[in-house]
Amino acid sequence: MATMTYLQAISSALRDELRADERVFVMGEDIGVFGGAFKVTDGFFEEFGPERVMDTPLAESAIVGTAIGAAIVGMRPVCEMQFSDFISCGFDQLVNVAAKMHYRQGLAVPITVRLPSGGGFSGGPFHSQNPEAWFMHSPGIKVVAPSTPEDAKGLLHAAIRDPNPVCFMEHKHLYRRIKGEVPDGIYETPMTARIVRPGSELVVIAYGAMVHVAVEATEDLDGASIEVLDLRSLVPLDCDAILDSVARCSKVVIVDEANATCAAGAQVAAVIAERGFEDLDGPVVRVATPDVPIPFSPPLEQAVLPSVERVREACRELLAY
Amino acid sequence: MSSSHTEMPAAATATLVDVTMPQMGVSVAEGTIVSWAKQIGDRVQADETICEISTDKIDTEIPAPVTGIVAEILVEVDTTVEVGVVLARIAAPGAAPTPGAASEPSGAPTPDAASTPGAAPEHGATAAPGDAPSPGAAAPAAHPPSPRGSSDYTPISGVTSENGSETHGAPARRYSPVVQRIAAEHGIDLGAVSGSGRGGRVRKQDVLAFVTAAPEPPMHIESPYRPDPVPVTGTGQLSRMRRQIGAHMKRSLETAAHCTTWIEVDMTRVQTARSRLGVTALSFVAGAVIAALREHPQLNATLEGERYTQHADINLGIAVSLGDDGLIVPVIHRAHELSVEGLAARIRDLATRARARELKPDEVRGGTFTITNPGQYGSIMATPIINQPQVAILDLEAIVKRPVVVTDADGNDSIAIRAMTILGLSWDHRALDGALSAQFLASVKRGLENA
Repeated sequence: MATMTYLQAISSALRDELRADERVFVMGEDIGVFGGAFKVTDGFFEEFGPERVMDTPLAESAIVGTAIGAAIVGMRPVCEMQFSDFISCGFDQLVNVAAKMHYRQGLAVPITVRLPSGGGFSGGPFHSQNPEAWFMHSPGIKVVAPSTPEDAKGLLHAAIRDPNPVCFMEHKHLYRRIKGEVPDGIYETPMTARIVRPGSELVVIAYGAMVHVAVEATEDLDGASIEVLDLRSLVPLDCDAILDSVARCSKVVIVDEANATCAAGAQVAAVIAERGFEDLDGPVVRVATPDVPIPFSPPLEQAVLPSVERVREACRELLAY
Repeated sequence: MSSSHTEMPAAATATLVDVTMPQMGVSVAEGTIVSWAKQIGDRVQADETICEISTDKIDTEIPAPVTGIVAEILVEVDTTVEVGVVLARIAAPGAAPTPGAASEPSGAPTPDAASTPGAAPEHGATAAPGDAPSPGAAAPAAHPPSPRGSSDYTPISGVTSENGSETHGAPARRYSPVVQRIAAEHGIDLGAVSGSGRGGRVRKQDVLAFVTAAPEPPMHIESPYRPDPVPVTGTGQLSRMRRQIGAHMKRSLETAAHCTTWIEVDMTRVQTARSRLGVTALSFVAGAVIAALREHPQLNATLEGERYTQHADINLGIAVSLGDDGLIVPVIHRAHELSVEGLAARIRDLATRARARELKPDEVRGGTFTITNPGQYGSIMATPIINQPQVAILDLEAIVKRPVVVTDADGNDSIAIRAMTILGLSWDHRALDGALSAQFLASVKRGLENA
């Protein structure tokens, strides 16, 4: 066991995979000599050389497309989008080529696309988005979104070893803020939900950075017994765990950092409404970012992102219902 | 409370449930009101008696079909009406009428109303918490909370429920899916559950607490019909003698391993002899038993716990009926010293004095074997209970003439009319076995048939 930041855990997984499997290589903008915009691949170029740590042009479509071709011939590419927002440029390659390859050709496309996502640091509308729902809506792509260093490493191992295209949502705001114990060596975290804290009166369902908001908001909420469920994986979505929590708690708050409409939390709410109806003792409550681009202004950004206080208030209201 | 009105002021918001003259049996077509247990305005619980009726078959009480307030009484005392006629109406707090109460709710029930009292939605009940009024504004008087349970319900204007709000025209409560499911699973009337949520809303924990607190409802409801008691000619405490006999008999059955063996005996010669001597057949049976006991002394014994005692003297008990009072068993001490005539005299003497309640204590003690003889009424077999601590008892029933096969000295069979009886021996399998009891009976039979 070693204590690592969320970012170090991601680096560790990448390094371990590069060392363990010659088919694995990484590519992205400034990831080589510079070590990546966030220094995830710091030192990789020196250790693994330019053929396995490839700097690319500012062309996300080319990055993803190249990765797809390499995957089809047996490689295990890991692409880094410098910011997850930029995947829109590589969108066609990802959702039309990679996601459908299996259905069209029966070919596996074992690529991993790392997507540094999320806001909270005044990154503005092009560097702060949470685009996971785009990929959830594209059959053929898996989407994982770890909240802890341990899960970040384990899920990245699982993503790289998965035969499907996997979008690995890594939250930038967690990179250096979150530290935790990480098991040694290579291990795969299952793409299932995890109960962060068990409870019986209300469950807060979240993923990624919002797990930490949920935990802090419900740490001591008038003595109520509040469960926190970390989804960890959005595709596949762990419906059983969600419904178990709902059956136990009967009241649900779902937190998304993404824009509310058609977000991952909207899908969770739909699952609960459809399959957990008879366990509900109150409306399914969602806390999410309103349907606006993330503002550059720090006070405005803080106003739109789900805060500890907003989650706490939503829980209070629902508990009193 | 208004008792002169026949219509309740709140009837518009409460469901009126009819109380009808019930069908008490297929042939009963009408009934008469005997009395009203409730008057207009009175509160009545479901299944509580609202009135008594009389039919040509039975008198009975009519239970209220629902909990509520008696709103109308339509049939006066001593009036006879046909089955199905509405006798009264109860203003119920929107409860669905129970089966059997032929009634129509005042409004067509929606699916919601069928499972929840009333149909008016409670303001804010379905809004998301963010849209709902804050707790401080949750229960203003102008926003009447739902009734807090059927027992608190009253449609009388001006009467307030426990939370201080008028219940006149109270909107019904709505329940969340989980609350409705739990209530359905446990057969709970949610109207009886008080809510701790916003505006008195019943929350999951409220209904769960109610489930934990309330006993499971019965699987069925007992019919209110009770048959008239069967006529009796007298009741009272059992007499002391009856209690003693009963205790003795129960103790014997619990103590001894009872077996009963029967043997058929030709009593023709006894009948002839007893006519000649002018004594009863019982005397001959006593004589034969004494002889058999001498042959098989194992039966002239007592068994107390594990202590088995064979007695040299034959102290023969003879059960004597005292009519309705019971029976007593006087003992012929040293009976083996008596002839049949002597036995007959002693039996006659003891029976006479027993019926005159003149027996001395010693005369009912010390028995080693007992004969019981209830056969004078024609019964032919019985399983007597051993007189503890003895190990056997012989039962003599009726002597009846029967066609039987008799064999002469030359071995020729013919059918003859003979006086037959069946002797029953109950014996204690702890003290002896079947072979011995059979041998003993055979010995008695031999003695009687050669009398």
